[in-house]
Amino acid sequence: MTAAPKNLAPPREFRFDAYVSGIGFEPKSNTFGFAVGDGTLRVIGEVEKTIAVHKGAALSFALDIKNGAFLTGGDDGRLCRVTPDGAVTELLVLKGRWIERLSAHPVTGLIAAPVGKEIHLLGGAEPLRLGPCPTTVSDAVFSPDGSRIAGAHYGGVMIWNLQQPATPPRKLPWKGSHLYLSYAPGGRFLASSMQEMALHCWRLADGSDMQMSGYPAKVKAMAWTPDAKFLVSSGAPGFVCWPFVGKGPQGKPPVEFSGRKEDVMVTMVAAHPKASMIAAGYADGHVEVGDPEQKKILPLAVALTAPVSALAWSPDGRFLAAGTETGEAAIYDLQLR
Amino acid sequence: MSIPVTVLTGYLGAGKTTLLNRILTENHGKKYAVIINEFGEAGVDADLVVGADEEIFETNNGCICCTVRGDLIRIIGSLMKRSDKLDGMIIETTGLADPAPVAQTFFMDDDVKARTKLDAIITVVDAKHFLQRLADSNEAEDQVAFADVILLNKTDLVDAKELAQVEAAIRRINKFAKIHHTRNSEIALDAILNRGAFDLARILTVEPDFLEEEHGHHHHDHDHDHHHDHDHDHHHDEDGRALYTETTGGLKVLAHDHDTTIKSVSVTVDGDIDPKKFEAWIGALLREQGQKILRSKGVMAVKGMDKRYVFQAVHMIMDSSAGQPWGDAKRGSKMVFIGRDLDIPALQSGFAACKA
Repeated sequence: MTAAPKNLAPPREFRFDAYVSGIGFEPKSNTFGFAVGDGTLRVIGEVEKTIAVHKGAALSFALDIKNGAFLTGGDDGRLCRVTPDGAVTELLVLKGRWIERLSAHPVTGLIAAPVGKEIHLLGGAEPLRLGPCPTTVSDAVFSPDGSRIAGAHYGGVMIWNLQQPATPPRKLPWKGSHLYLSYAPGGRFLASSMQEMALHCWRLADGSDMQMSGYPAKVKAMAWTPDAKFLVSSGAPGFVCWPFVGKGPQGKPPVEFSGRKEDVMVTMVAAHPKASMIAAGYADGHVEVGDPEQKKILPLAVALTAPVSALAWSPDGRFLAAGTETGEAAIYDLQLR
Repeated sequence: MSIPVTVLTGYLGAGKTTLLNRILTENHGKKYAVIINEFGEAGVDADLVVGADEEIFETNNGCICCTVRGDLIRIIGSLMKRSDKLDGMIIETTGLADPAPVAQTFFMDDDVKARTKLDAIITVVDAKHFLQRLADSNEAEDQVAFADVILLNKTDLVDAKELAQVEAAIRRINKFAKIHHTRNSEIALDAILNRGAFDLARILTVEPDFLEEEHGHHHHDHDHDHHHDHDHDHHHDEDGRALYTETTGGLKVLAHDHDTTIKSVSVTVDGDIDPKKFEAWIGALLREQGQKILRSKGVMAVKGMDKRYVFQAVHMIMDSSAGQPWGDAKRGSKMVFIGRDLDIPALQSGFAACKA
């Protein structure tokens, strides 16, 4: 393994002592927010702030770009908006339920929280509930243009048109348990990761679908390069990059590469906001940045030791933040000294 | 560190909720997460009582042993994010639940497997109504078949003869579960929690008499009318190497159309087995008949190995490891199978052929 370049500043390191369930960079305040399993949100800018939000764990996280805030969902059934200076607003309270997944659209400001068989939709003219789906909705994501929302459930995916939320959703059936969803930039493809260690992907124009399998572990994270040429995922001991140029990845092998000699799984990935680069976090806390076109790797200084559970870039691509299952966190500055 | 998980099954009204409340209210100083099928019923330490939807997920290949409880995977994933450390998890299933997908979740999902371990499946049986349940449902039979520990509850509602009948019916389905007689689900918690019944290295400490032969102590006070008329007898094959005891669940005393079909059979080899032969045999057997064989469990003496070789499977999912050393104990090998339509002579000769 090549060593981390010496012309990068050493990362800032933090110890939150509980599972880091999500990270995001809020541009107005220039801060990273870390949602943590002890129910707090840690806001890291020039100073470090700890904001108590949930009674149990902060299970889910999203960035609320439109409102310059962070969103967290907890096992206390609360969905909260937290501003970087520490103001907490309760947006939704569902007693006895867990808010395990969140997403928010940066332009429309809509917020989606799948709970049980429904998707709670907030931030519009009035709160909406989409569904019910046949089973629990395991993930809900907005299309890049914000016009649609897709919900994953057992047996397929449903897509609602948000201009006409009352009309029945488009159904994309595929047997099996769909866990996480990811739209390609531009919205041409929708990818789903499945319980059975595979990805399923639909070309939305004609509904044709494809299955990408052969993973040694369950895929828990997906990321697209900003040009939508590659879909990169966790679930293998290195970068697995499916080429979506031309007709898509049918019949083509993925581009695979790794900076590691050891057989360690990638547990989290995050796409660089501008360049065709992906950050990957490993089960032993190592973090690398990879370029699928060149198959090149930039290993970062080792600051973490547990499985990486969250990764996020600043919008300019200068800073990368990582957090682990045991509550370690680091912020890497990728600007050369 | 893996968190021990106890699965609680039993027919509606058998006493599961009473047992659950007993576990939660007893002053044990431990922190348990409780996953129940109807939210809020237990009414204790609310943030750790979780409602589950019992969502059974098959994978695209349609294999039944890949069938898991999707809701459990999700709930356990979220519980693992909490900063407080749990001493255990208890999963209550509905009275109609098939225990297999719950058990399989702990072997099939890597994340669940990494963070938890299945400790025991506990089935609460209502002594008064069990024979009726057995006659009118498959679930009651499945739940007993899967159990590591059985609470034969409400013993105060039946007389000694009825109790013996019920116990005999349980034993015909499952001969290796530990049976406790209880009233009002009263039982010492250390008899049911943190047992390590699924922990292969601990099987012999949990079931010290696993290797001993059955002694035909079953009661015969009901009508037998099943396909095999040789139950409760020991049989030796020609060269005397293997013997087996078989019992059937063909309880016809209630004169209902429904026939209980699960039985358990044990097969033994007097002495050591050849591990290569055993692995080839058990692998093929469970591949072909794993749908019918609900559980199998075994302790074996392996030629050249000082330690006991311990095996167990849920349907087709197998696990094996080295147990305690034999020391001065007499070396011997035994497998127990619980399932439907078991071909007993074939199991007997198959295991006998594994002799070293």
